[in-house]
Amino acid sequence: MNQLNDQHLVTGVDHIAFPTFDPAGTVKFYRDVLGFPVVHSICAAGWGPGDHPDFIHFFFDIGNGDRIAFFYYFGLPRPDTSAGSGDVYARFPEGTPDWFVRSRHLALHVESEEHLLEYRRRLDASEWPVEMQIQHETIESIYTHDPNGYFFEITRALRPVTPQEDLDADLTIDALVHIAQTPGHTLDDLLVRRAELIVERAPEWTATQEAR
Amino acid sequence: MGHRLFMLDVPENVPIAGVARHLPDVRVGRLGPYFVIESDAPLSIDRRATGVRHAVWYSFVAGLDGWRIAQWDKDALRTEER
Repeated sequence: MNQLNDQHLVTGVDHIAFPTFDPAGTVKFYRDVLGFPVVHSICAAGWGPGDHPDFIHFFFDIGNGDRIAFFYYFGLPRPDTSAGSGDVYARFPEGTPDWFVRSRHLALHVESEEHLLEYRRRLDASEWPVEMQIQHETIESIYTHDPNGYFFEITRALRPVTPQEDLDADLTIDALVHIAQTPGHTLDDLLVRRAELIVERAPEWTATQEAR
Repeated sequence: MGHRLFMLDVPENVPIAGVARHLPDVRVGRLGPYFVIESDAPLSIDRRATGVRHAVWYSFVAGLDGWRIAQWDKDALRTEER
């Protein structure tokens, strides 16, 4: 019997990688403005298929031993970003709503309001000032775009997550998977299915919590 | 038994339960970690009366039993018979 087969084994982000066409701006933003140490870099001659350019792959520490990495390909032309929206990697046609373009982003965590505001101070003194500071349901975030156009967030928890939020998240996702099988599903369908699962699971959850 | 709106009991939602408790013919009970806001007549909750910020306001409904949402905007949440 495999002792690991029911365990959650991963321990965080090793690295998340993005292409850059502005290595100087990228280093300025992550290392000089935000103060993320450079922790690794690999320079490599083009390898594999004949059209692979020479490149450098470089990494910044984003805390907890996790890293954000960039690929810079020598001689690869920068995409035309004069029309539409998005970043250097993903472009969207004119008229694509901002909320959709911004929905893919990286959010880094800080432990306190003081730490969040310290990053706000660093960004506001740079070419990439904070564009928004928002209190969401249970987190507060600052946002900007990095030199590559990648939407970048730093966030703090306004309070610890409560056990009932884990229950609610679990049953909400079960409800989502259930309704997602029906074409044309809506938020209304989700709220109805969620209510059914609340009625089914919430009383037992309370009993389990009280037994702890 | 009336129709029910479920709302998770987390600190951000407590002011909404407080407003619902004072609405005429509305009962606020519990089911596990959820508030159950129950009524025979359609619910109408005034956003400003709750004082909650937008992110909380637009995410507080956990489930609907018998109700359908007729209005959910910066002014109010209003339900109607399904």
